[in-house]
Amino acid sequence: MESKKTSSKIGVYICECGPNIADNIDIDTIIARLPSLEEYQNKELVVKRYKLLCSNEGKEFLENEIRENEFTHLVVAACSPRDHDTTFINVCKKTQLNPYLYKMVNIREQCAWIIPDKEKATEKAIRYIRAATSRVLKQSELIEKQLDIDPGVLVIGGGISGIETALSLAGKERKVYLVEKSSELGGKMNMFKELLPRQNGNRDIIEKKIEEVKKNESITIFLETELESAVGFLGNFEISLKNIKNNQPGAEFTVGAIVAATGFRLTDTGKLAQYKYSKESEVYTSLEIENMIKRDGKIVLKSGKEPESVGLIHCVGREEKGYCSQICCNYMLKFISFLQQQSDSIKIKDFYRDMCLPHKEDQGFFEEVKNKGADFIRISDVKIKGTHVEYTPIGKDKKEVDVDMVILAPAMEPEKGTEELAELFNVPLSETNFFQEEHQQLNPVETSIEGIFIVGACHGPAGISESMLQAQAASGKISTRLIPGKKIVPEVKVSEIMEDFCMGCRTCMDICSYGAITFDGELSVCVVNEAICRGCGNCAGSCPSGAIRAKHFTSAQIYQEIIEAIR
Amino acid sequence: MKKSYTKGAKISNSKGSRKTILNFLKGLLKKGSLDAVLIPMRVPAGDSYAWVLIKDKKLLDDANPIAPIMPVQGANALSSCTKKGKGNLKIAALMRPCEIRAAIELSKLNQVNLESVTLISYDCPGALPMSDYLQDPGEGEKVFDSLLKKRDRDVESVKPVCGICDNFSILPASDLHFGLSADSRDNILLIPNSKKGTGLLNKMDIKPSEDISSWAKNIEELKKVQEKKRKERFEYVKDMVEGFDSLVKTFSACVGCHNCESVCPVCYCRQCYFESETAKPDIESILLKTKNRGSISLPADRIMFHVGRMVHMSLSCVSCGLCTDACPVSIPVAELFSYVGDRTQQTFEYRSGEEKGEPIPMKTYRKEETKGINELVKGAEG
Repeated sequence: MESKKTSSKIGVYICECGPNIADNIDIDTIIARLPSLEEYQNKELVVKRYKLLCSNEGKEFLENEIRENEFTHLVVAACSPRDHDTTFINVCKKTQLNPYLYKMVNIREQCAWIIPDKEKATEKAIRYIRAATSRVLKQSELIEKQLDIDPGVLVIGGGISGIETALSLAGKERKVYLVEKSSELGGKMNMFKELLPRQNGNRDIIEKKIEEVKKNESITIFLETELESAVGFLGNFEISLKNIKNNQPGAEFTVGAIVAATGFRLTDTGKLAQYKYSKESEVYTSLEIENMIKRDGKIVLKSGKEPESVGLIHCVGREEKGYCSQICCNYMLKFISFLQQQSDSIKIKDFYRDMCLPHKEDQGFFEEVKNKGADFIRISDVKIKGTHVEYTPIGKDKKEVDVDMVILAPAMEPEKGTEELAELFNVPLSETNFFQEEHQQLNPVETSIEGIFIVGACHGPAGISESMLQAQAASGKISTRLIPGKKIVPEVKVSEIMEDFCMGCRTCMDICSYGAITFDGELSVCVVNEAICRGCGNCAGSCPSGAIRAKHFTSAQIYQEIIEAIR
Repeated sequence: MKKSYTKGAKISNSKGSRKTILNFLKGLLKKGSLDAVLIPMRVPAGDSYAWVLIKDKKLLDDANPIAPIMPVQGANALSSCTKKGKGNLKIAALMRPCEIRAAIELSKLNQVNLESVTLISYDCPGALPMSDYLQDPGEGEKVFDSLLKKRDRDVESVKPVCGICDNFSILPASDLHFGLSADSRDNILLIPNSKKGTGLLNKMDIKPSEDISSWAKNIEELKKVQEKKRKERFEYVKDMVEGFDSLVKTFSACVGCHNCESVCPVCYCRQCYFESETAKPDIESILLKTKNRGSISLPADRIMFHVGRMVHMSLSCVSCGLCTDACPVSIPVAELFSYVGDRTQQTFEYRSGEEKGEPIPMKTYRKEETKGINELVKGAEG
């Protein structure tokens, strides 16, 4: 027989939260009732109230109580754990009590604030505290581990986003490896002569940055190279590269984080029936025009003559793609402005569906171009036959016009290879085929895999300024997360697989969004990599054999909590 | 949905369907198109059947492709030899449709590897209950022989779950199918149903040029009759499992031997959770239950075992009936599970063992699924 368990001593501390809890719940009743309940009669239970446990005095009080009473378990009945769970975990950490032997109960939002009847609110609070007290007895100590990290960063893509990320991060103690598949740095910006006129920029900006990258001793550049494999987790990714030219294995090294900055390409207009045109016709995509301006210094027809009339068509492929490419309206205005400078008598017809002018300078620029005589026509439908444009202005009949030149603004789509890269990282793509961010609003540059970041147009249509913002944001996140010399504490509430139960069916591997589970072929069982696991518990829920346990959320713990809550 | 095959080859049935099937398999072994055949064989004592993997074609003479009973599920036999990978052997497994469906379920769970396996099905007349057969194996053989010769389904002498089976013929997962219920008993239809199956027929120079619609029509009609029987029977079974009181009554004779679990092909866990220490209640929770209910029977959680198994495997249940055969106290486990399985599978718009590679519901999430659950809850409350 097992000897009698070491006796447990549970502390239950009820916070008054000023009047918030005290006014609506009869705390004295709880203090009187709780120890007299049958299940606690053989247990050592200390129940006390305090004005405001989250105050400095409150924290100190709690700390002393834990020490003096030598509690083995602690329950704090107060506000929402979202507010102060961490506060009390930190109090536990100052004492002998393992913070995973503590449990917080929300008797403010879930009892005091929502139940007008004081007696009923008190009853519910007692149930909740009972549930937590019984649960806490089933909880186990968890020990946080510290792992060494490599502060280095791998940046994939040598365009403006990748360059900016590399420059922001590289330093004495942080190496940056910049991988580019083509033979030069600069990406799409190599096709540009000028940035948007109002941003007062030209190519010098990118060329200066490329020079800086080349000069920086902490940045290693790999041209004509792509990623072969990346295995690991935040702080420790093992990287292998591949030389594209000779298809030979490339360098191998370790980094702490990976930034994907693989950019975009324009959608293939040949696949859109209404925009089919031959190579001989005077129809150009926006990037072809950028290239032309850079090469010839002007926008000209194939004959070398300047066009007398130009039709510009926005939103090419927007409907098919299902998203707005955000930057096209702006660069179309740039082209119009350029054409107006080139010739006073130029006739501009701009066919747009919706004008997307998100930045504070945009509206003024639009007015300026419009006042110089450009004809902006809002359309519902458009079709080209060479430079013959058939269009339907909104609410009007179909019209047609012949122009010397047509400029198309095709939708941006993720660069070729994005899907393969996503698969390699085990990072999801969104419905639009761009990388999926962890949270669109709250966490836009991180992915579901901790340590893998996405910046620039690989993450969704983005102009230069947005790409810079994202590059700097990701750099900031990485700098604070991977501090040279510091260690990281991985999640301890992770999943564990009980080998004796696992049949190796690999259902959990398909379910895990973090790539934290691998298959051990020799033992025919699945294995959790604790450094990658974030403890979401999906694998535990999906395991047909019940072989997976989510630490701190075991069936026994949850069962006990429910049983007590409904008893 | 995969492409459906509409042609078959007519082969003479003059030597009886078993001999015809064996000759075909022998031909494939001889040509080297197959390396081995997984097939039932009567045990030397004569009172049961075992699965054997035969490489020597002479030994095929002793095999019985359509055994009257199903002591071990074919999917278990297939899992035991392919779980660790496909290997170099090209195997044909001649199995009942429910065995093939179990094999498909196990392949989704990485317990069977079908890459080098050709699945051959046939129009199954059902299987005899083990207890009937064991009483007089000789008589059992005779009864089953007569079943095989009938064109209609005789539900009197087969297992209850076979009597209400509506999935006894060709499956989307079959590579090859023997249509035994052809126009006349003089012929058998050999129907290729995948590239693998067509490939094997080509090797044997058999051209699938006959129209199979009259056979298919006959099967459809038989299926309709079976569906009706199934529905009628389920009206009765429903009252045996719906509600806690019904469950207690139905499983009251259960001795907790867990035979149903150990013979179940889709209960593939290494160790059943309900047999593990994790599932054993501590004295405190036993006392709590005793306090709440006045008394409890021990060992505790006998009903929980069955309900748990329903939760765990009813989505994959193929209604093969092995559990009933294995139950020492004659609880109609198979019909109960078959009924629950039908209901859960409908909820997830899933049919166990239908499509190779179709993800099991555990791996998928669709918003509409919760709607179905709400309706079930409402149904249970109403």
